[in-house]
Amino acid sequence: MHTANIPVLETQRLVLRGPEAKDYPDFQATFSSYRSRFMGGPLNAYEAWMLYAAEIGHWNIRGFGMWMIHDKDTDETYGMAGGWKPAKWPEAEIAWIIWPDKAGHGYALEATNAARDYYYTHQGWETAVSYLDPKNLDSIRLAERLGATRDTTATTIDGSDAVYRHPSPAELDDSQLAHGIAMEISHYADPLFKPKGWALD
Amino acid sequence: MTSFTIPTLETERLVLRAPRESDFEAEVAFFATDASRFVGGPKKPHETWRLMATLIGHWALRGYGFWGLEDKATSTYLGRVGLWFPHGWYAREIGWTLMPTATGRGYATEAAVAARSYAYETLGWDTAISQIDPANEASKAVASRLGARFEKTYNDPEYGDIEVWRHLSPTDLSQGGMEAYA
Repeated sequence: MHTANIPVLETQRLVLRGPEAKDYPDFQATFSSYRSRFMGGPLNAYEAWMLYAAEIGHWNIRGFGMWMIHDKDTDETYGMAGGWKPAKWPEAEIAWIIWPDKAGHGYALEATNAARDYYYTHQGWETAVSYLDPKNLDSIRLAERLGATRDTTATTIDGSDAVYRHPSPAELDDSQLAHGIAMEISHYADPLFKPKGWALD
Repeated sequence: MTSFTIPTLETERLVLRAPRESDFEAEVAFFATDASRFVGGPKKPHETWRLMATLIGHWALRGYGFWGLEDKATSTYLGRVGLWFPHGWYAREIGWTLMPTATGRGYATEAAVAARSYAYETLGWDTAISQIDPANEASKAVASRLGARFEKTYNDPEYGDIEVWRHLSPTDLSQGGMEAYA
């Protein structure tokens, strides 16, 4: 017998659960679109399915992986976020993708912040990186809002990606940065507030 | 909590159990060589890793998939056998891939019989196919030993021209199996 268990995380507006068969159409729609160009896409239907299965198998092999992001009330999916370290990845990565028509509500920030907190608190991660395409400005901006900074000394995947290093658990703990992230998330969640700048995720 | 279970099966000489990361090195070596040309290879190590993850995730999405194959006596990794139906596949398949060191001893046939029984008896399938590269004579011999028959050549969007072999149905098997076709 062999069982894979993927934990469930809850945030203010979201529930993060393991990828399931019923969520696959949402994943395929995004990975067959131009939106996935920084994540190895666009993929044909077969390639997308194989990748989706690999997202689940990653959990089994590594003990961590990518969650499906759901709306806490309606259960609709908004994208994926979590940890990612397939073969060839120098370090464990915090990664995210938001479906194109669900961008602009701060979901990636809220989900990614929860995922990072989970790995720091429950799996003992001491650091994390995000491997970003230098042209993926939306994701670079999100990495910066999460407190990550460019690490030019870190090993890249293939030389064409920029490595952003996340703040360590100690740097985040009760910091102004952590409070700032929490405040930004709460402003997205509360329609009375409009965050400064504009949400790209 | 998302969870799924991969059952363990045993045959006379073999254990069919969940694929695991310790199989990875053998698979990387296999996919680095031309021996993998009939099953989507050669592949680079990171592509093989992705395939291993996909094999496991297939269980979660479909409720069945590939088992890793072990020698019951030595626990040596011998290859894979399983039930396979990724998106766009022609039909639900029984598949087998042996490491080059494990061929010639009837392991694929022995494991495929167990996988076929699982498909018919536990999952309730009423038929199954195997997709086989036209040049893969060893695999066609396994299919023949299982009682499967060549059905057609199919143009798979990923693999190109590929032979579809149709396995004996549960009814065929209960009415005498291979003898019924002798």
